[in-house]
Amino acid sequence: MENSIFEAYEDEIQSLEEEIKLLAEKYEDSQQESTFFSDEEILMSIKSFQREFWGESKGYESPSDLKALLETLETDLSFLMKFTGIRFTSHSKKTVEKTRNGTVRKHRLSGKCHSLSFQLEFQLLEMQNKDSVSTVITDLSIVMESGEDSDVSKFVSSTEEHRSLLTFFRSLSSYAEWYEHRRCTFLHFK
Amino acid sequence: MEPGRRGLMPAFPCGKMEEGKARWPDGVFAHLEMLEARAYEAAVKQEETEQREEKLARLKARVQELRRQRDELRAKVDLQQKGLGKAGVVSDAAQPSARAVLEWKIKSVKAMLQVFYLTGISGKLTKQGVCFCISTAYEGTYLDSYYLDLLTKPEVRIHRHSVPTFIPLEQIAKKHLETDIRRFLSVLADHLNAYVGRRHQADQLQEHFSDQIEGTLQRNSLCNLLVFNYNLSSRSKTFPFNARLLYGDLCCSLPTEVSVSCTPEAPASLAETAAAHSALFRRVALHRAFRSFSSAAERADVAP
Repeated sequence: MENSIFEAYEDEIQSLEEEIKLLAEKYEDSQQESTFFSDEEILMSIKSFQREFWGESKGYESPSDLKALLETLETDLSFLMKFTGIRFTSHSKKTVEKTRNGTVRKHRLSGKCHSLSFQLEFQLLEMQNKDSVSTVITDLSIVMESGEDSDVSKFVSSTEEHRSLLTFFRSLSSYAEWYEHRRCTFLHFK
Repeated sequence: MEPGRRGLMPAFPCGKMEEGKARWPDGVFAHLEMLEARAYEAAVKQEETEQREEKLARLKARVQELRRQRDELRAKVDLQQKGLGKAGVVSDAAQPSARAVLEWKIKSVKAMLQVFYLTGISGKLTKQGVCFCISTAYEGTYLDSYYLDLLTKPEVRIHRHSVPTFIPLEQIAKKHLETDIRRFLSVLADHLNAYVGRRHQADQLQEHFSDQIEGTLQRNSLCNLLVFNYNLSSRSKTFPFNARLLYGDLCCSLPTEVSVSCTPEAPASLAETAAAHSALFRRVALHRAFRSFSSAAERADVAP
């Protein structure tokens, strides 16, 4: 009889701990998603951070560690943009729902692939499995600059219907490269 | 005991002095032992009860502390949501520290790098070259990712990778790696996405329509040859159809050759259905085709 009281308390403790973890993550996500700092603000912060802690580092990450990390990440990002030809001009996301089963986020993404502009809005569901995270697109809407082209609009609506975000990017890449090649060829003959 | 004879009488009432003396030590010690045992048990029980009460008190305290933390966080999140509702941007009372700004930027860049994962090609620079990550998906579901660690000096070559052995990586590398890395990755991604797409269809079929399939689906590791016996309804106990799907194009997730036949015992009327399925499997993803059977069957049931 008494053991059931213990179990009840222990169950409540576990569920409270999970809830606290979720709430903390929700708060962090919201903070991240609703803040924005310009490049100048970031440069200023790097300088003032280094001044504050010159010579001494408190905690794990010294200013030079963070600065180095930021540089590495930005170098990787700019390499990928150059290599793939896909340049993102803006990206925002908002956590729509966060439960024990998974997180749903709404993303707004705009960019250019070579010279073709696109704007995307999609919903992403991420579920934590035993040792991996599964990602599923649950909603997708695409706006393309050359949307009047009937082939392009057919492609866009079929992609939206099947929520094939990956196929969109892969096809966009090869189409944009061909388009670019054609454009250069025409310019060459002008 | 008579008051007058205090000094002379033994403490314990017993029979005649002579007889009692022989039995007396046993009786006393047995009684003492019993009392000791009882006292010990009582002490143990007392300790157990105290421990239980202590544990209960600890658990209660923990629950109260966690409830307090949880309520605090809830209030914080609610306030945050209200603040967002008003202005769209959170206006922090205090100026964010330089460290906070940097950490925000780092998270932001990391998020952008994660978006590249969704495009199919992502990666990072290494000391000796680049480590690419090819992500695969079937429609909206992202599936496995594969890594390629490339060295770039003196020429481009593969250092390590996680591509399965049945994908012709060496062939593709020989043809494209040194001349056009982008093309190499694109062709490799075609193979990987097609493989993963075929595997996903077979998995979905096995998972959602297992009662319409006899036993398990037979497939090779490349998932470009599928053989199975099936029926149209989960209620039927026989599997009159035999299907063999060959995916001749390794960059495609639809079969190039399909043969659906009926078992000799099956009624002749099914031959037409088999031919129709043969055509269907060539155009429509396998698990989608089966889903259309179920809905057709349901409609047939409902029809008068």
